[in-house]
Amino acid sequence: MMSALDRRAFCIAMGLIGLGAASTDARAAEDGAVRLGIVAPMSGPNSRYGSFSLRGAQLAAEEINNAGGVGGRKIAITSGDSQGTPVEGVSATRRLIDLDKVDFIIGDVSSSVTLAMQPVAEDAGVLLLNAASSNPKITYGAGVGGFKWTFRNYPTDENRALVVIQYAAEKRGFTKFSVLSVDTDYGRAAVEFTKKYLPGFKGEVLTEDYYKEGEVDFRSVLAKIRDSGAQAIIMYGLADTTPIIARQMIEVGLAGKIPLIGNAEFNTESTIKAAPKALEGAVEAAAWLPAWDAPKSLAFVEKFKAKYRETPNNHAYVHWETVHLLAKAIEAAGSADRAKVRDALSRIKYDSAMGEVTFDDHNQARLPMILLQIENGKPAIKGAYSAEIKYPAK
Amino acid sequence: MSPRDLSLPAPRWDLRLPFGIALAAAACLAPLFLGNYALHAIIIALIFLLPAHGLNLLVGYTGLLSLAQAAFFGIGAYTSALMAVHFGTPFYLNLIAAGAVAGAIALPLGIPALRLRATSFVMCTLGFVIIGQAIAKNWIGLTRGDMGLSGIPKPYFALGPASFTISGTTSFYYLVLVIAVIATLAANLIVRSAAGRNMVAIRENETLAESVGIPTWRYKLVVFMISAVFAGLGGSVYAHYLTVVSPLTFQMYYSTTMLIIVLGGGAGTISGVVFGSLLFVGLSEALRVAPEVRMIAYGLCLLALVFWFPKGFAPLIDRFWSFLKERK
Amino acid sequence: MLSAIFEQIVNGIVSGSVYAIVAVGMTMIFGVLRAINFAHGEYYMLGTFGAWFAIEYFDLPYPVALVIGVIATAVIAVVVGRFVMQRIVGAPPETGVLATLGIALVLQNTVILVFGGGYKFFNGGYIEPVSIFGFTLAEQRVLIIIVCILVFVGLELMVTYSRMGKAMRAVSQNIECCAVVGIDVPQVALRTFILGACLAALSGVLTAPVNVSVYGGMGEIITFKTLPVIIMGGLGNVRGTFFAAMILGIAESLVATYVGLQFRDTVGFATLMLVLMWRPHGLFSAQARF
Repeated sequence: MMSALDRRAFCIAMGLIGLGAASTDARAAEDGAVRLGIVAPMSGPNSRYGSFSLRGAQLAAEEINNAGGVGGRKIAITSGDSQGTPVEGVSATRRLIDLDKVDFIIGDVSSSVTLAMQPVAEDAGVLLLNAASSNPKITYGAGVGGFKWTFRNYPTDENRALVVIQYAAEKRGFTKFSVLSVDTDYGRAAVEFTKKYLPGFKGEVLTEDYYKEGEVDFRSVLAKIRDSGAQAIIMYGLADTTPIIARQMIEVGLAGKIPLIGNAEFNTESTIKAAPKALEGAVEAAAWLPAWDAPKSLAFVEKFKAKYRETPNNHAYVHWETVHLLAKAIEAAGSADRAKVRDALSRIKYDSAMGEVTFDDHNQARLPMILLQIENGKPAIKGAYSAEIKYPAK
Repeated sequence: MSPRDLSLPAPRWDLRLPFGIALAAAACLAPLFLGNYALHAIIIALIFLLPAHGLNLLVGYTGLLSLAQAAFFGIGAYTSALMAVHFGTPFYLNLIAAGAVAGAIALPLGIPALRLRATSFVMCTLGFVIIGQAIAKNWIGLTRGDMGLSGIPKPYFALGPASFTISGTTSFYYLVLVIAVIATLAANLIVRSAAGRNMVAIRENETLAESVGIPTWRYKLVVFMISAVFAGLGGSVYAHYLTVVSPLTFQMYYSTTMLIIVLGGGAGTISGVVFGSLLFVGLSEALRVAPEVRMIAYGLCLLALVFWFPKGFAPLIDRFWSFLKERK
Repeated sequence: MLSAIFEQIVNGIVSGSVYAIVAVGMTMIFGVLRAINFAHGEYYMLGTFGAWFAIEYFDLPYPVALVIGVIATAVIAVVVGRFVMQRIVGAPPETGVLATLGIALVLQNTVILVFGGGYKFFNGGYIEPVSIFGFTLAEQRVLIIIVCILVFVGLELMVTYSRMGKAMRAVSQNIECCAVVGIDVPQVALRTFILGACLAALSGVLTAPVNVSVYGGMGEIITFKTLPVIIMGGLGNVRGTFFAAMILGIAESLVATYVGLQFRDTVGFATLMLVLMWRPHGLFSAQARF
């Protein structure tokens, strides 16, 4: 057992480590830099999205800074880890606002985290730009809906579900569906919207299942789906789980017989490679994909690949685009004053790789969803669709 | 070195009262010299202090290791959230309801659970947390599952003509401070009463306690329920502070955190728990190093606590206190 | 309809085999150390990571990677066993709970810190489907079932006939007498622990090809699934654990199919709670020892 002297040494050591960590944490921003905070899941089950988001943002900041900065000032990015949970997201947001003194925050990926961050940003008068959450509620309550400091530069799920089911019913002729989506706000809300539109396309849901993050055994469910007579699987899920499900579809004998429709990074190369037969014919509605045929987008893909040696995903792109959007707004406002930038944003006409972006009175960007189908192992783009959002009456 | 110096004894001052006053003053004036982020860390520490007091009563005084605090914390949080969102009830009503519901649910859970032996009891309490999370995730009609309940309104008080809303970190800090102080006083009262002594008797030797006439079974059940009430209160404040609850409120990590607070601060002492809460929660919030590093530190702390510091910081606090008293 | 149920039962036996191999290690550790090993799932994870690392960075074939995964875990188990697990022998139950919780936190987060939290893709193993009784299973799954049977037969033989096995039985029955008779209790504890951890690692590597994803947090779910199994099987009861694991696997499969996939994880603990209320000493042992 330890002697009393050892115990004291241990306590003192812990204290010193604690002080050391606290002091090195004092981040000094460059003089006059525009301070931007990025809140994303850097750890936990969604860490893949966070890592891509941060890299996309950093690439954009680098491009802007190399071109002389915004109004002569450089952009300094500080990141905060939300771990995909509302609590940590709020903590990270507060830290960015109080300690790192950021003026603008881009975050989060998960809708439930973003919803929790909104009041914090509102109270502090910090501009919250959301680049990747799809829950419509975020902007139902923004702009004239309440939270004046929240803006979203990403299409909502309301649009996505409609686009997917319309294609599946009209172009592929499906009427019988099975649901296998992730058991989160994202997965459930997307399915809820799908069910809203289904009757209009004479479709019905035969079985409905949700999987937890980290679930690895889908054999039972897939066998059930196989025997149910469904023609397609509605899947709004996690990028990391799709290869597992695809592989097990092969095992159960579903691959090539029933396509996946929805959104779970079907178009990512490595996912397709994991089980090409299972993903053939998959239908996906995404905010963006690397194969999008616009010069600015392709240039971004090249630059990202050159810098990080990995093809960017959807989240990398939207964060990259949003940082550029913010920079344009600051330029238009002529200063980095938060209120002026906010007003500039609401009036902005921004030329993005997906078309011109404007914000409606709920601070929601008008953006299309891209519909794609996997043909011969490659995503084939079928079109880009926009929809007007019907806001609930107050 | 004159002879006079050697003959007079050194003066002794009782510094406890001045120290206590200084501490209270620091607590009240904290918002003036601490930034919002530090206040946030303290608020979280004080929120976790509530279930920690409950756990202390269970582990420190009655000798029952329970992992269920996170379950009652979550129940309290959801109760408050549901009431606030669906009925628009004022904060103090939500607070009381949260504690009451948590305590009420603890009764049917505790009766079968307390019959189990030590190891199985721990498993069972863990089961409460896991089942709690599953219910929160799957009973979509009630809890909206993973989508969570958001938009919990800020606490609003209407006292006669005056009414004010708690908004902003500073006012929330004072609110939580008041609640935490009341809870600590309550815990202190329980512990110093005859009931508290009986609890210690049960911890030391249950059979002997039974033989001198202490109804051990009833005590264990009541303490289990009271600790659930504390946890529920904590959950309620938590819900109102974050304005969002999700099934993630039921996680093992919270149970582990509360365990570290109690064991690290010193199970079986009230001041130890307060100290432990500020140290472990406040510090880990304030440091905000990578979460993995934080968890590794937690793990190492647990190991150190189990093998080298079974009494946690309590002995140090005791020494400091008697130092103040005697000024030796 | 009947064949559908039968297929689900076979699925259940497959997952049950995985749980069984992991659980038997945990229950043996309990028998000897009287400690619930909350970190047990982490050894499952470490074994998988070891194998994944071997395949990803050194391009080794799967069987070699399997051995490497198990050995890597064994090495870590020796360290943990020496410094922590041996001290738990003879200590009150809380010590075991807290110490193993601490170890779990350290192991899991160190791996995440070193390798990052993202999901990794496990390339390897025998995933070609093979046809049995009219439905298809990946070859790997058949392998799992076979290994499970071998493990249990082997353990049965070891516990009954080998010196080590007899020593383990003795320690689990009465520690004080062991010291009197000359059994080196700390050694037995250490060896049992290493054996248990290696079994968990083996299970992890075997399942990785069909579960495909490897990530630092995967051990925690396994721990939570295994705890109900060992309690239902009776703490320290090897045979009971086998049956409890199979029952859990089949129950999960049936629930996933007929009730809904999202309820699959709750089956374990829900059943556990019911069993604890009704038969606190497990379904298979006659008397309550723990």
